Amino acid sequence: MSETRGTLLPFYLVVDVSYSMSGSKIDAANDMIVRVQDELAKNPILADKVRFSVIDFSDDARVLLPLCDLLERGVTVPRLTVRAGTSFAAALRVLRTEIETNVKQLKGDSFKVHRPVVFFLSDGMPTDPDADWQAAFRDLTHYDPATGSGFRTRPNVVPCGVDDADPRVMQQLIFPATGEKQMRMYLMDRGEDAANAIGSIAQVLISSILSSGVSIAAGGSGIMLPAAAELPGGVHEYTADDQDFV
Amino acid sequence: MEAEPRIVSTDLPQERSEVASWTGCFEPFAVGDPGRAPDRVISKLNTRFWYRPELALDAVMVGQEGESPFAALRAASIRGLSHRHYGEVRQDEYAFRVTPDNRYLVVCVADGVSAGKWSHLAALWGSRGGVDDLCRILRDTEPEDIDWPRFVGEVAAQVEQAGRDHLLRHGVLPEDVGTTRQVAGQLATTVLYAVVCLSGSAAGQAHVYGIGDTSVWVLADGHWHPRQPIKNDGAEVYSSSVTALPLLPRELPPVIRTRVAPGQVLVLMTDGVGDPLGDGTGSVAEFLADRWCLPPSGLEFAAQVDFRRSTFDDDRTVVALWPL
Repeated sequence: MSETRGTLLPFYLVVDVSYSMSGSKIDAANDMIVRVQDELAKNPILADKVRFSVIDFSDDARVLLPLCDLLERGVTVPRLTVRAGTSFAAALRVLRTEIETNVKQLKGDSFKVHRPVVFFLSDGMPTDPDADWQAAFRDLTHYDPATGSGFRTRPNVVPCGVDDADPRVMQQLIFPATGEKQMRMYLMDRGEDAANAIGSIAQVLISSILSSGVSIAAGGSGIMLPAAAELPGGVHEYTADDQDFV
Repeated sequence: MEAEPRIVSTDLPQERSEVASWTGCFEPFAVGDPGRAPDRVISKLNTRFWYRPELALDAVMVGQEGESPFAALRAASIRGLSHRHYGEVRQDEYAFRVTPDNRYLVVCVADGVSAGKWSHLAALWGSRGGVDDLCRILRDTEPEDIDWPRFVGEVAAQVEQAGRDHLLRHGVLPEDVGTTRQVAGQLATTVLYAVVCLSGSAAGQAHVYGIGDTSVWVLADGHWHPRQPIKNDGAEVYSSSVTALPLLPRELPPVIRTRVAPGQVLVLMTDGVGDPLGDGTGSVAEFLADRWCLPPSGLEFAAQVDFRRSTFDDDRTVVALWPL
């Protein structure tokens, strides 16, 4: 038997939980998850389609909330807590494994899946060598349709940086960086309060979930980022080519 | 002057001894998990296209020759849950007509592409205009001789022209509707046409031609037989991209020729039903095959087309034909 049980839209929130995130920043990051849950509760069309996962990372990365329906009975919203280190490589590797496993599982369960979307939030520089996280990012996003090598379910990646996140490092995590469906990154404006900026990033994430719903209703194939004019205060958006940062 | 106080009886009615004067009940159909949306979506009006109904429905006999009609036809086009939630119009459409000589039934099922905000008009023009043109062509052409690529080319040109005129009348700038692609960005539709022979030795023969992912099936002995390749079969991630008029694919599809006999059903549907039906072997297939072994009443048919199933919230249109 082969039929579809539904078409789902997976979102992954990957959060830096290094010590520098402690205090109001980690509180704001925790609040993001609750706000997403609240918004889904208000939109029955999206509530049936969106699947949400939370991965945190420091020296290692952990799946705090496995991909799930946030409104399903019994789902408990996880609490992010801080620990040492900022390994982008660990986060990207766990992310790849999760996406691969989740999509395989969903397909095995007869669901169709839109391309996954990753919001990657960090407040600092990676503590692992550039070559390590760059290789992990390549493993996550490289796919060659001609040979079939690489990762077929490579996600769209939207990096979000606050405080000491280096724009030029975060920029390298935008995927796709070019083309018709290119993604963007969101950075805190200089001098802004980081917790407020994370609040604004939550708003971007929610707008993107909501407009992706409208886009799917309009025959599109998934992720939509909010228009620059509709961005909340405290953050600006950048493409992979931008050289100047506010 | 003070009004006389009205006396209202507060007595409870006497025990009812009569049999209730009505019967019947309605329960929506659901296949598997219905999801949250069907119960929670608040259906919103579309204020721009206020004149467009949420549901179109027909239940008729076709090919009447004296006392023996050729087939029962059921057609329903329903605004999807998602369009109800976002207050968008139904963009699906159907049209059908029997040629004046009573020899052929001509049907079209069309799915206006959601990305264009005027696509319901493309669906309307593509279906009504196309059916009308086919009836004209059939005056002096046998169905097997129809030049389908030429025919859809002409329909595409008509949709483009009518679309451009309409957009210009509604304030779109000429430079924004210069090319076919620009017009298609505002209004586009899939189309699937069928010409079914209603009499003689060819009775039940169907000639089908379509652009886009609107599909044709024959339901026979409880099994669904697709008459075209299944959409997204084997795809890693889901894609809803589709070819739609006024654009034409570089490579035009072949004509589909099939035959439907008494006891079988010829079914044309938009992807709102085609997607949950999948390859025609799952629970949706079972449900519809079971309900459609005989032609249901029109309203029942519409309720069946509107079955609930989690995440399937697109507009839905089906035209089904049961030869008798």
